[in-house]
Amino acid sequence: MNLEQLEKQVTRLEDIQEIENLQRMYGYYFDNSMYAEVIDLFSENTESVEITDHGVFRGKEAVRKMYGGMVGMPRPGWMFFEVMQSQGVIDVAPDGKTARGRWYTPSFECRPFGGTKKQTWQFGVYNNEYIKENGKWYFKKLHWNLTYWTSFERGFLKVPKLSDTPFPHADAPATAYHPYPSGYHVPYPFKHPVTGE
Amino acid sequence: MNLEELEKQVQLQEDIQEIEHLQRKYGYYFDTNMWAEIVDLFSDNAESVEIVDHGVFYGKKGVRRIYWDMFSGGGTPRQSPPWMQFIVMQIGGVVDVSPDGKAARGRWQTWLCESKPYGAFNRQEWLHGYYENKYVKEDGQWKMSLLHWNNTFCSPFEDGWLNLPLMGWMPLPDADAPPTAFHPYPYFCNNVPYHYKHPITGK
Repeated sequence: MNLEQLEKQVTRLEDIQEIENLQRMYGYYFDNSMYAEVIDLFSENTESVEITDHGVFRGKEAVRKMYGGMVGMPRPGWMFFEVMQSQGVIDVAPDGKTARGRWYTPSFECRPFGGTKKQTWQFGVYNNEYIKENGKWYFKKLHWNLTYWTSFERGFLKVPKLSDTPFPHADAPATAYHPYPSGYHVPYPFKHPVTGE
Repeated sequence: MNLEELEKQVQLQEDIQEIEHLQRKYGYYFDTNMWAEIVDLFSDNAESVEIVDHGVFYGKKGVRRIYWDMFSGGGTPRQSPPWMQFIVMQIGGVVDVSPDGKAARGRWQTWLCESKPYGAFNRQEWLHGYYENKYVKEDGQWKMSLLHWNNTFCSPFEDGWLNLPLMGWMPLPDADAPPTAFHPYPYFCNNVPYHYKHPITGK
């Protein structure tokens, strides 16, 4: 192997590491409601953000609209969203400029439903895209699809989802919202590593 | 890029990998009560260990005191029944190695499934928390130098974090100092400061 080839391989490993950090930092900012920091993780050329059935938000302006509505919003201490960024599989494109990643997210929550407080379990899948600009990795597309969202007490078999949460100012309705028990699988961004299919 | 620069970059990737494994091995040893093995993961120059409201334990002596004397009962054969369990899942590490390659910091989160006795009762519980840890490289090996784990909640399986955020206080009498950042749910937000700057804005 010559130096140039080796350099390419090292860069690829660094890219994967940086993207993993980016995704995990997103989680660590999200759980403390640091939405301004979340918005800054997105490229100016962002394609879209789609979270559960909130709908599709296109472009960086829409990223600001989607998360920005929550910036500075007072949140009582008991409300929380712990989203565990788990099990990332990152594939960097051959040109090293974009990447895709799939992640699992077991989550704990507490939030109001009308006048009552509820504690909930959530589970979902990310299929995200990343872009490298000026040597730094950014989010290009974020899509989190809900598997279940259930009350702590009752569980996903009895209550697969607690309610519908479409956002009125979305650019388009959700594209792949089929929670448990639909049997729907979010398509894999990657090929089978052995068969290539 | 010349060979020397490339070597440095490869070294950084290896360091991050080794530190991630070190932290995960800590978890796997913890799960199975292998306290001697855990003590050996710490540098002889370890700064401190602080776990929930147990308090702060300084130095390698403090490391031995909390894991070996307190958790392991001084190495007496473990008396606890097999139903007692501490599973600590080490999730989402963000590891930053210092420019000189000799020290590092890492933020992790943890999801736990535990069962342990409360007085005469056997309880099953869910826990969540954050680590902000420090690591040090000595003689080519990464070791723990500071471990700080802060609890988000410790709640019964049956009632959940909304109804019962904390199952009890657990200060250890042999600690060197009281806990520095123990504010569980619902006062946990922003308790564990970030060791890293924002990757884009640098703030």
